[in-house]
Amino acid sequence: MRSIVYYVREFLRPEWLKKFFFAKTAPLETPSYFKGYPTLTGKECTQCLSCMMICPAPGAIAVLRKKEGWEPEVYPGHCIRCGLCVEACPEGVLSSGRILDVTGRDKTAFASWYHLEVDDNLCMRCGNCCVSCPVNRELDPQLAGTGTSASDEVIMRIEGGRVRILHEEKCTGCKTCELNCPNRAIRVARMVEGVHIEEAEA
Amino acid sequence: MKKTVDVSIPLGPVHPCWKEPVRLKCETAGERVLRTEVELGYMKKGIERIMRGRPWQEVMFLAERVCGICSVVHNMVFIETMEEISEIAVPPRAAYLRVIVNELDRIASHILANFSYCYTIEHETLAMYLLNTRETVLDNLERLTGSRINTAYMIPGGVRFDLLPEDAAAMLADLAKVEDEMRRYTGIFETGPLIALRSKGIGVMSREEAIRSHTVGPTARASGVEDSDLRLRHPTYRELGFTQITRTEGDNFARVMVRFQEVFQSIDLIRKCVDNLPDGPIRGGGLCKAGSTSYAGEAPRGELTYTITTDDYGRVVDIAIRTPSIMNIEACAHSMIRDAASIADVTSTFISSDPCIACNER
Amino acid sequence: MSILQDIKNAVRSRSIHVSYVDVGSCNGCDIEVLACLAPRYDIEQYGIYVHNNPREADVLLVIGSVTPQWVDKLRDIWEKIPDPKVAVAIGNCPISGCVYARRGTLTTPPVENYIPIAAQVPGCPPRPTEILSAILSVAPLIYKDYEEKQQ
Repeated sequence: MRSIVYYVREFLRPEWLKKFFFAKTAPLETPSYFKGYPTLTGKECTQCLSCMMICPAPGAIAVLRKKEGWEPEVYPGHCIRCGLCVEACPEGVLSSGRILDVTGRDKTAFASWYHLEVDDNLCMRCGNCCVSCPVNRELDPQLAGTGTSASDEVIMRIEGGRVRILHEEKCTGCKTCELNCPNRAIRVARMVEGVHIEEAEA
Repeated sequence: MKKTVDVSIPLGPVHPCWKEPVRLKCETAGERVLRTEVELGYMKKGIERIMRGRPWQEVMFLAERVCGICSVVHNMVFIETMEEISEIAVPPRAAYLRVIVNELDRIASHILANFSYCYTIEHETLAMYLLNTRETVLDNLERLTGSRINTAYMIPGGVRFDLLPEDAAAMLADLAKVEDEMRRYTGIFETGPLIALRSKGIGVMSREEAIRSHTVGPTARASGVEDSDLRLRHPTYRELGFTQITRTEGDNFARVMVRFQEVFQSIDLIRKCVDNLPDGPIRGGGLCKAGSTSYAGEAPRGELTYTITTDDYGRVVDIAIRTPSIMNIEACAHSMIRDAASIADVTSTFISSDPCIACNER
Repeated sequence: MSILQDIKNAVRSRSIHVSYVDVGSCNGCDIEVLACLAPRYDIEQYGIYVHNNPREADVLLVIGSVTPQWVDKLRDIWEKIPDPKVAVAIGNCPISGCVYARRGTLTTPPVENYIPIAAQVPGCPPRPTEILSAILSVAPLIYKDYEEKQQ
C-alpha cells in the first residue's frame, strides 16, 4: 500500500510531468569549436604543397588548378579531420573549427624539411628518379631521356654508376622519385617538428 | 532420471551485448556452463605492418586508431616512447595538459565499461543514465581538443592546443555536475538488491590466480593485486600525489566498483591539475633520433607497452604493441568462468572484465 | 494499388529496425552509434529501434574496413536479412579504408565490393549529429515505392 502511494506521488510531481510532456532533446547542431572538414578562407594559395606533404591519410587532400589559380580540395571520404593541414599552411588558406585562431594566439607552427637517402646495394642506375623529379625538370629541361645532366643546379643526377644527391634543400617532398624507382632504393623522409615561434624571431 | 546432453553453444560474433565481434564457445552440461573457449581474429587489420617505415606524424594517427575507446592513451604512450628514445624534454604546462586529457579519456572509458555491464545485466535505466553523463565528459574533451574521439592532441615535445581560462572554468563546472551524478549512480549500484544478486559472488578470481594469469588493470586490482598501476611510476602523476585503489573480493561487483571509484579519483586529479597549471610554452620542439626502447603506460584497461625502433629521420623501423586486453580475456575465460550457473552469468562475467577486442588484434 | 503503396511508404519511413555489424574497425564509429542511442541524441524518438539481430532488421549499418575473416561472412549476413533491406556505411573505413589503405595492410576496402550500399556517412568518426541527420534525410527516400522499383 505504501509503495503505491509512493509511486503515485512520484509520477505526479510537476517537474516530472513537465519533462514528460514538454521535454525536447538537444538540437542537431554541431558546436563551432568542432574540427570539421577544412574549408577555404579565400586567401591565395601558392602551391607550396605543405598541406599535401603533412597529410597522414592517403588521398585526402589534393591541390588542383582552377581558373583563377591553385586551390586545395579535401575529399570527405578519406579525410580524418586531424587539422594538420590547417596548421601547416603558411598562408592560412584552410580553416577548421578554432584551429587558426588558436595557432595564431599560441604562436605554434610545424616546421618541415625533407631528406633523401639512396641504398647503394639496390640502386641500378636506371635514372627514373632524376627524370621524373618535377623540380629537376624545371631546372634542366634537357633532362628527358637519361639521368645524367650537365647542370649543377639539379637536385640529383647519375654520376659514376650511382645517384648522387647535390641539392637536398630544394626537394619538396612529393615522393615522385620513390614511386618511380623499381627497387625502392631511394627513400624520402618527411621530417616534421612542432615548434613554438619565439618573439625574438618573429 | 534426466539425461543431460553436452552441447557446445557459440556466443557468436554478432551479439547484442558485445560491440565488437568475438566468439565464445561454451561447453554446457544441462544448464551449467563448464568451460569456455575464446576465438579471436575478426578484427585483425595488420596495423603494425602498416606502421613500418612511416614517419611519426603518420604512425601517430595509426596508433590512435588501434582502439577508439582508449585512443588518447595510445597517443600518449607512443609519443612518450619517442621522447624517451630521442631524449626530448616536455615543458611543464604541456605535461599537465596531457594529464588533463588523459584523465578525461579515462573517465569516459570507465563510464562506457560500466554502461556495458549494466546493459548486459539488463538494467537499461542505469545504463542510459551513465551514457548521458559520458556525453558531458566528451563535451569537455571537444572544447579542449576539437574532437570527441581520436583527438590527436599530443606531439613529441608538447601538445597542440592550449587551454583558455574560460574553458577551464566551464570544465570545472561540468566536472562538479558529473561528480554529483556519479555519486548518485554509485549509490544506486551499491544498494540495489537485484544488481547484487547478479554480481556478488559471481566470476570470482582469487589473488593467486590473478597473479598467475598476469592480469592487469582494474581487473587485477579488484582481486587485491597491489602495485599494478603504472601511474605510480610516471613523474607528473607522482608530483600530483597519486594513490591506487584496490578491493579484495574479486567478483563482478568488485570490478565494477573499482571503476566507479577510479572515476572519482580522476576528477580529483583534473581539479588539482587545473588549479596548479604552470605558465609557459606548450611546445618544446625536438627532433626524433635513432634508437630503440620499450615503454609502458597505464591504459584504462591495464598496462600498455610499446617497443619501438626508429631511425635518424623520424621514421619508425620496427614496432610491437602489447595491449592489456589479451591477458584479461584469457584470464576471464580460464579462471573466472568455471562451472557457471547459466549462460547469462557467462556474458556478464565476460563484460565485467572489460574486453577491448579492437585493442587486442590490431 | 497506389493507396496501399502510400500506406507502405508512410509506415516504413516511420518505424525502422536497425542492426549493425562491425567488420573490423577501431570501435570509434561503433561508440558514436551507441551515443546516438543515449538520451541526448535520442534516436528512438524518431521511431528507429537499434538492436543487433540481422533476422529482424530493415537497415544494416556497416562499420569498419573489411578484414580477411569477414569477407565471406558479410555476404552471409546480408543474405539472411529479409526484404526490403538497405545497407548504410558509417565512417571513412567502409568508403575508402581510412588510414589503413596503405602498403602492408590486411584489409580489402571498400565495402561496396561485397554488398550494395545505399548511403554513406563520411567522417572519422562522424559526429552523432551527422549520423542522425544523414539517417533522417535518407529514411523516407530509401523505401519509397520499393515494390515498384524492384520491377
